[in-house]
Amino acid sequence: MAAPLRTVTSKLLCRSSRILHARLRSQIVVSSPSCSTSVHRGYSVGSEDKSTHFGFETVPEGQKAEKVYKVFQSVAENYDVMNDAMSMGVHRLWKDSLLRIMNPQPGARLLDTAGGTGDISFRFLDYVRSQRGLQDRRAARSNQTLSWQQISDSYTSGEPDQGASRAVVCDINKEMLKVGKQRAEERGYSTGLSWVVGDAEELPIDDDQFDLYTIAFGIRNVTHIEKVLQEAYRVLKPGGRFMCLEFSKVSNPLLSSLYDAYSFQVIPVLGEIIAKDWKSYQYLVESIRRFSRPGNIQRHD
Amino acid sequence: MFQSASRRLGLVSRNLHKASNYGSLLHAARPLQISFARTVTDGLKDNAENKPQFDISLLEFIVCPLSKKTLRYDETTNELINDELGIAYPVIGGIPNMVPQDARLIRKDPEEKADPTKE
Repeated sequence: MAAPLRTVTSKLLCRSSRILHARLRSQIVVSSPSCSTSVHRGYSVGSEDKSTHFGFETVPEGQKAEKVYKVFQSVAENYDVMNDAMSMGVHRLWKDSLLRIMNPQPGARLLDTAGGTGDISFRFLDYVRSQRGLQDRRAARSNQTLSWQQISDSYTSGEPDQGASRAVVCDINKEMLKVGKQRAEERGYSTGLSWVVGDAEELPIDDDQFDLYTIAFGIRNVTHIEKVLQEAYRVLKPGGRFMCLEFSKVSNPLLSSLYDAYSFQVIPVLGEIIAKDWKSYQYLVESIRRFSRPGNIQRHD
Repeated sequence: MFQSASRRLGLVSRNLHKASNYGSLLHAARPLQISFARTVTDGLKDNAENKPQFDISLLEFIVCPLSKKTLRYDETTNELINDELGIAYPVIGGIPNMVPQDARLIRKDPEEKADPTKE
């Protein structure tokens, strides 16, 4: 069982690292250039009477947000337990990998979109703290035998702003944030963490504010991906990084059939047993199937 | 402010717990004491939740999702106000709700046009 999931992960990671290594300055980095063309198209075409997908259903665009909202409202309480049960804990490894690729340094500012119960932001804060510890230790070690040159350098390169790392969890679902905020209080995260209810298609954030933008397992749930990308581009500082973690397809036919069987036969049952909610988890697996390869994001408009 | 308030709340409820523990030694008074302790902590919790607890520093980067302009925090109503468009975004449990569909339309006062905080 773990095998197909792992395939997905490695794919996911390949893609994320490709995104990262591209590091295009002041341009949203999504693998294919055709995606940016779809951004423009999305804006010129009126979208009022268009339809979109909600799992395997086809629904009017206006209804998707509400339906997705209801799904996450009903699963919020059991969200973290269910993530562990469904992925057998592997989702933690995916998120850890995302952070390793991100490699945020002290002072970085993160907008954790579709951040829900705060998994990415908690990891971000932990990572930044450990990085700062590392830097401090390194500095302490090198400070033991300083040359005059190093001493004069230390005066010129003082960075007072190093401590001001910040993570902002933004999610359209207030129930998820409520659970997240509670979790943060239980775990003792307080400084540098904020919670905002907001729509990724219409971010309540000023321009050029963040070094990092993440959307982990969220982009397949939005109605207009192109609007989300446009907004991400707007709120990121020049040179900021957009990082998307999302499910992918399994290409090996044998693994794929195993993965399908697990998704459709086991996950809704788990949902029913743990969260007493078959339908929401049925939507979850359907939405994952509907969301095709990352390279084909532009086909979903 | 909120932190100290919640810390105080924790302290109070802990004391009450202690009180109810001691109370359990006195057989006769037990049920009465416990029920009293519960109503007191419940009341305090409700008060703390209703208090405005918005982190003002968020206003450095939070803007109105519609106009993308800066907002003003109104402590009395615990809302973030866009004076220009007349929209009030509620802050619930310390979390600002910046979804326009959940916001409240406020009557635009003609005097408010002279408001210097308005963009």
